[in-house]
Amino acid sequence: MADPIKLAYFMAVKEGASYLGGLLVTDTSGIPLDFRYTEPITPTRLQGILYGKSLEPHLKEEVIQKTLLKELKTPPDLFILSATELAGGWSGDAKYPVLAVQKSQESPLAKVGDAFRAGPRELLIQLSEGAAPMRVVFAASVDAMAQEQAVVKLLEAGYHMDLAEPLERVTAALQSLVVKDS
Amino acid sequence: MFGRMKDAMTDAAETLRRAFAGLKVMEVAPEPFLPQCHGTVALAVEPRAGLEAPVTVCREMRLLREAVEGRALQPFQAELKAEAGWARWGAEAEVIRMTALEGGQAARVAVPPLPRKATVLGRVDPPSRPTSHRLSESLPQPSTRRLDPRLDQVTAEAGLESMLSLAVPIRSENIQHLPKGMWMRYTLQLVRGTGENVRNLEVLGLFRIPRKGVADLRHDPRLGRILVRLESSAIRSPRVPFILARRKDDGSLLSCFVEDP
Repeated sequence: MADPIKLAYFMAVKEGASYLGGLLVTDTSGIPLDFRYTEPITPTRLQGILYGKSLEPHLKEEVIQKTLLKELKTPPDLFILSATELAGGWSGDAKYPVLAVQKSQESPLAKVGDAFRAGPRELLIQLSEGAAPMRVVFAASVDAMAQEQAVVKLLEAGYHMDLAEPLERVTAALQSLVVKDS
Repeated sequence: MFGRMKDAMTDAAETLRRAFAGLKVMEVAPEPFLPQCHGTVALAVEPRAGLEAPVTVCREMRLLREAVEGRALQPFQAELKAEAGWARWGAEAEVIRMTALEGGQAARVAVPPLPRKATVLGRVDPPSRPTSHRLSESLPQPSTRRLDPRLDQVTAEAGLESMLSLAVPIRSENIQHLPKGMWMRYTLQLVRGTGENVRNLEVLGLFRIPRKGVADLRHDPRLGRILVRLESSAIRSPRVPFILARRKDDGSLLSCFVEDP
């Protein structure tokens, strides 16, 4: 029997002057297998001046993301970010396909399981009958073959779960942690 | 004088005589006068018609539409004008007598003497001479401090417990796509497990959830999914098919784990 597919959802948020991130690993039902989060990082005023606009990307990608990925015991099959994070230019580890999933407003594809390539890095996949297809955007480091393999896994997972929903859970969990700490 | 005049007259006569002495006389036949005759047109009588009888033409004068009031010339009226200015000037002439000059009081004006020395106004005193100070003390040598701009390494914490406190939505599998034999098997297990008549059951969905560790379960009919709250034991528990059904007569929910064939 093949190993179950593991999906890693990464989210970094800014709460006040602090940054913190979380990484949720789920199975294809969306049930959490692991969840790691970082403690809030509050850059000093001097660090804010010295880093300038690169402070936030540096914190999210170099500090938070790499720290969380180190904690993973087994690498995930797919590494899923929010579309905003991916659009900002993901420069993390490329050991696994990095992508963003997003609900679209497009008309449904012919049948469940269909995929439509909308661009070199963008696909629409039909996960449920009659619903709008899900938009999948891959990072630049993911080649076409890796994209095809990732789509197969996404279709399998999307049969049981809402692929975009776990990111909301990560955000909610991080916010609850901030409230708990404060 | 008379002698000279006489000589002159003589010379002139001699000159005239010499001038006209050698002239040849030529006879020129005079051209006879030829009378030029011009004919005149004889008077002719031109018959004319007789005088036309005078014709009386009757003309009608049209009245003026609007009466124009003629203004009669006003007769001249003589008015006697007299200029009495001259007479008045002569009569009302004012005699002005000039008063005789009288001796006034005289005062002696003394001329002030010129100043011997001009005074200078607005003189600004020169500033006092600046005194120079020598700063022999050197600036203190700044001490260098090193501030590491690197952001602190963060530590990752395990937070699965907090994540499990959030409800996990699980989508129903599409029953229509299941093989008919498998679905009949599932239905049979549902009837056996619940003890309910199959006709009284409405299947809400087939879900794959952990066999153990489901602390709470709620049905979301709008999206056709269930929301489960899990315990940590659910993480390693196997996922098994789970049927959620509703009893038609009272609307109560029934559920049953079924086994894959």
